[in-house]
Formats: sequence, C-alpha cells, structure tokens
Amino acid sequence: MPEDKLTSLADAVANIEDGATVAIQNMATQSAPMASVRELIRQGRTGLEIVALVGGIPIDLMAAAGSMERFTGAAVSMEQFGLCQAYRGAVESGRITVNELSETALNARLGAGARNLPFLPTKGLIGTDLIEINPDLIMISDPFGGSDVVACRSLIPDVALIHCHRADRFGNLQMEPTALWPDIGIMPKAARKVIATVEEIVDTEVLRNSPERTYFPGFMVDAVVEVPYGAHPTSFNPFYGYDTAFHRDWIAVARDPEGVESWMQRYVYEPDTQEEYLERAGGTERLEELKRWEITE
Amino acid sequence: MKDNLSVDWTVDELMITTLAATLENDDQACNGMASFIPVIAFQLARLTHAPDLVWLASAIGLDARPERVPASTLEAPLWRDSVMYVEQFSTFWDIVLNGSWLQKFCVGAAQVDRYGNGNNSVIGDDYHRPKVRLPGTAGLGDMGSIGKRLFFWNPNHNPRSFVEKVDFVSCAGWLGGGDERERLGLSGGPELVITNLCVMDFHPKTKHMRLKSVHPGVTVGEVQEATGFELLVEDSSLPETAIPTAEQVRLIREVIDPDGMRLREFGGR
Repeated sequence: MPEDKLTSLADAVANIEDGATVAIQNMATQSAPMASVRELIRQGRTGLEIVALVGGIPIDLMAAAGSMERFTGAAVSMEQFGLCQAYRGAVESGRITVNELSETALNARLGAGARNLPFLPTKGLIGTDLIEINPDLIMISDPFGGSDVVACRSLIPDVALIHCHRADRFGNLQMEPTALWPDIGIMPKAARKVIATVEEIVDTEVLRNSPERTYFPGFMVDAVVEVPYGAHPTSFNPFYGYDTAFHRDWIAVARDPEGVESWMQRYVYEPDTQEEYLERAGGTERLEELKRWEITE
Repeated sequence: MKDNLSVDWTVDELMITTLAATLENDDQACNGMASFIPVIAFQLARLTHAPDLVWLASAIGLDARPERVPASTLEAPLWRDSVMYVEQFSTFWDIVLNGSWLQKFCVGAAQVDRYGNGNNSVIGDDYHRPKVRLPGTAGLGDMGSIGKRLFFWNPNHNPRSFVEKVDFVSCAGWLGGGDERERLGLSGGPELVITNLCVMDFHPKTKHMRLKSVHPGVTVGEVQEATGFELLVEDSSLPETAIPTAEQVRLIREVIDPDGMRLREFGGR
C-alpha cells in the first residue's frame, strides 16, 4: 500500500518554516492555492521568499500580512484589477526585495532546479538592465563558440503549493484540460516538497478512467488536502471563474492598515474551516455564479 | 461598398486597424495580459485581410473563438473554443524560442524611450527602492532579446510614458541606438509605435524614434508636446494615419468587442 498523503491544511502547512522559499501556482487572477496561502498567513509565517510566475492576490495578501520579504518571479499584477498595492507599497518602502526574472529565465532557473543542474542558459534578457541587478543571472560565453548566453542559477524552492482538480489519497494529482502555465509545468518538479490542495479526493479507480489527466505521481507529492473552491477568489478553469467583487473588496482596503486588519480577521483569521470562509465570501449563491463563469466586469 | 471609409471612427478603432495592418496572413500572433488593442487587432485581421493568421489567445488557446472580448485578455473566456491548449513551459516557449514562428510581438510598456527600449519594472533611479514598483518584465524581457519584431501600442501618449531614457531597461529595444543591438548579436527589434496621437517608426541608421504619421486632427506640435524627447520629424508634409473602413469599424463594434472592452485601455495606464 502506498503512503497515505491525506492530511489537514493546518498540518500540511505547519512544516513550512519561517524564511522558507515557497513556490506558489498563480497566473495573475488564475489558479492560486489560496487556502494554503491563507493558512500560511494564519499560522503567522514570516520572512518567506515567494516564487511565482505572475503573482496576483496571494502575493498582495502575504505582503500586507508581513509574511514575505522577497518575491522571485516574472511579474506581480492582478491584471484587470490593477497592480497589487500592498506589495507595491512594501517594495517601494524596502520591506520586500524583488528578484525579477523574465519568463524564460524563471523557467531556466526552475528547470535547472528540477534536473540537478547548476544553471540553464537563456537568450532572453540580453541587453536589458535585469542581468546587472540580479546575482542569479550571469552572461557567459558559449563553450561551443556561438554567441553569449545568460546563465540562470538553479532555483530549488523548499516547497511548492499547488491546487489541482482531483487526487487520490496517495497524492496522484489530476488536472482537467485547461491552461497549464510553468507553475504546473516545472515549478513543482523543482521544489523539495509539494503540498497540494484539490477540489476533491477520489478513489484511485477514478483516476484510471483518465490517466492522461494525471500530472504528478503520488511519490512527488508530500501532502494532499481536500479543499473545495481552494483557489477562490482566483479562477480555476473549468470549474469556476474569478471572483470580481472579492478582488475589488480587497483592493479597496489593501493600502489601509486598519482595513487590511479587519479584512484579514474576516477572511483569514476568523474562519476555522473552508466552509466558513466560503460562507463569508458569499456562500452557495455566489459560488453558483462563479461556477457559471458569470463575469461581467 | 465594403471599402467605404468610416465617417464615425474613434481613435481606439484607428489604433486597432493600424496594428491589424501590420499582420500578414502567414503570421502567428499571441497576446499577454491587459492587451485589448492587440487581441482585437488579431481578430480583425482574421476576419478581413489575414484569415489564416494563427492566434494563440493568452499564449494558450490555439485559434480561440471567444464569443466577444471579455474583461480579461488572460482568462479562460478569451481562449474559448480553442483547437489546442498550448502548455506554456513545454510548448509555448519552444515555439517562441525556435525562431521560425511568432516573429511579431505586441508590447505595452509603462515607459518607452527614444530608442524603443521598454520599462515595466520600476520608476525611479534606485531599482531596489523604486518610486513606483511596476508589475515586472514578464515575457517582455525575453521578447526584446530573441529576435522578435516589436510593435508597441500606447493609448495614452504622454511625456511620462515617452521619455528620453527609460529608468530601467526591462525590454531591449535599440538600446543606445545605431548598431548597438547588432553588436550584441540581437536580431529583430522595435519597428512601430502606435499611440492615440500618431504612428512612429525608427530611423534605419540612428534608430531614433521618428514620426511616421499623425492621426487626423492631431498636429505635429501636439505629438511633440506629449513626448518627453525630441521626436525625429523628417517630412515637412507628414501624412495622416489611414482611417478605418466602415466595415472594419462595424466588425470591431458589433462582432469582436460589442462590450467596448478596448476603451478600458484609455485614460491612464
């Protein structure tokens, strides 16, 4: 019998230490492991280096809560909802530093991490100022005599937090057909540990019906937790869309310490369960709208 | 009748048709975040002069058929009815980096300078303590350096966006001008800049940004005033930008973007 990876969110996240490098799945308003992120904040983690492709609301929440002191990734933006204002303020005041990478440089760093290589090269970024300010990027000559390339130092996150559509209790993770960004394509493969929340836990027999949808074998996964709507308020195609009102509520308070505090109480600290969180976020009625992708703004 | 010029076009539509005209039938194109003008230009080109133009919606959805332009140019409603979901890490970047495909790329940047360098990273002198932290380079840091032909769009032409020198180069343009790009071994580069006031290209030798056409009703003086560096104006009788046809305007308004999402790009970026 393979190892049972099923656990609670609190226990799964408890092993992440202050100052850890935490990779999170997220592309702007899409597919972030929000329940895990809220749990990290609830448990008062500090000093984290957060790795993301394009970080959205989870980055802003962690910046506002003081959980993170470094961002490594390609961008931070909530796209149509604008810049992440708490994050922006924290960077401008020097509380968060940024290890800014182009997409190919981030992919190269994670690719090297996944494959036990010291670095992988890219030809992106040549001519930009990004190489000079980043000690993890160094121009090197091509040993075979071609033009110079940018060596991108291996990046091995301590843990990757991801959200998938389903899993069995042994941590075999499935994704429904949807956009797969490098946060699924490479990030979990580079991390020392993978903590996955999933919309539903199913029997292994269910996974056998569609093995082409299984993206990660259970042996790569350290903990799996069932969290319905675990990506809310980000979208999780094809199951549900992003929550516009929820994003806007956050933006309205993101730069006001008192507003942040009461928002955090309401949505992060007080709800003891996902059910309670979802109830506060609008309950069944709201979730039904999100399921129908009823997005008007 | 089809080629009758529009009598009630607006500048958003003019920018879209100008960008659409740069696309050819055998091109492939992709779009990123907050890219309404490019997304509509790709769809317009496909409905008019470039029916076979391949579009990777959000860099994900092959030949997507969105019902209408949605509120996000990155989210699932845009890649509705795709032929394929292009996995980003293993497939999209291989397609881009191979060099055979996706030769043109549309760039939206907070700052652009006289040599077409772009900045989406920081405003201010100190990268580590910026006055304004912008979103970040994302794919631009790659697209500027890997041989792509770059087409900038900016619906809010102003002196803070068009600057003498960008505070930080997060997208490589013509760098210091002249042959600097070539000396670094970089091919491709900035070709065209389309704004709400004018169209600009780059002098073939100096790579200095040059006024190519002004939109009807706009003067050269107005463009210069909205630009933070001295524009190159070679032609004393500068042409006006070609205006959209009635059919193009109809397609944009009625078929592609009936909700007017394109207007969200105007009035501050």
